[in-house]
Amino acid sequence: MDQHSQITAEAPRLWARPMVLVPVFVLISLVGATFPSFSLGANVLVLAAGGTLFWLGLSTRLPRRRSPRRLPAAAGWWLVPAVVLSLVELVNFALGSTYDHPTLSKLADPWLVGYPGRALAYFGWLMAYWGLVRR
Amino acid sequence: MTLPRALAIAGFFLVVVIGLAVEWAARRPHSRIPTLADVCGFVMRYRIGRLPVGRIAMFGFWWWLGWHFLAR
Repeated sequence: MDQHSQITAEAPRLWARPMVLVPVFVLISLVGATFPSFSLGANVLVLAAGGTLFWLGLSTRLPRRRSPRRLPAAAGWWLVPAVVLSLVELVNFALGSTYDHPTLSKLADPWLVGYPGRALAYFGWLMAYWGLVRR
Repeated sequence: MTLPRALAIAGFFLVVVIGLAVEWAARRPHSRIPTLADVCGFVMRYRIGRLPVGRIAMFGFWWWLGWHFLAR
């Protein structure tokens, strides 16, 4: 029996509740957005925040939401956006990731240069990461 | 804007539209399609022996994605 999969999200610890975590993630995002790409600060912050969440996700410190043991065949519908994304990304990457053939990161660059865009991206990344940790 | 760039952007936009449509279909009552969160949860259950390969892969991918977009 898979012990980890039996842990459910009944009573998260105080620090793991949204009223504590969301302000913490907002603070990290506001600080993180002050560091430009390729800076030491940005690298340290992403490695530290990502590493902490990675460690939390592998530990048994947090209760997890139930996940399905099997997926129905209809789950195959998720392959459609995945395959289209892979094709578009690969074609543009193969064509050089230029202005005419931008990959996703090339398209995101102008949005991630400014402070509000970076702060929002940090926050979205952290919240989604937290969602994975609790799964 | 050049035509190839417009096509590339349209391609990414199409991915978002398809993804939202599948998620919407999954959240309908009695839907047989799992939500994206359920698919992620299923993938993260995958283990080889005691090693939680699914969790490591998912966290590793998301960590790399943040590093790629925000630090690189």
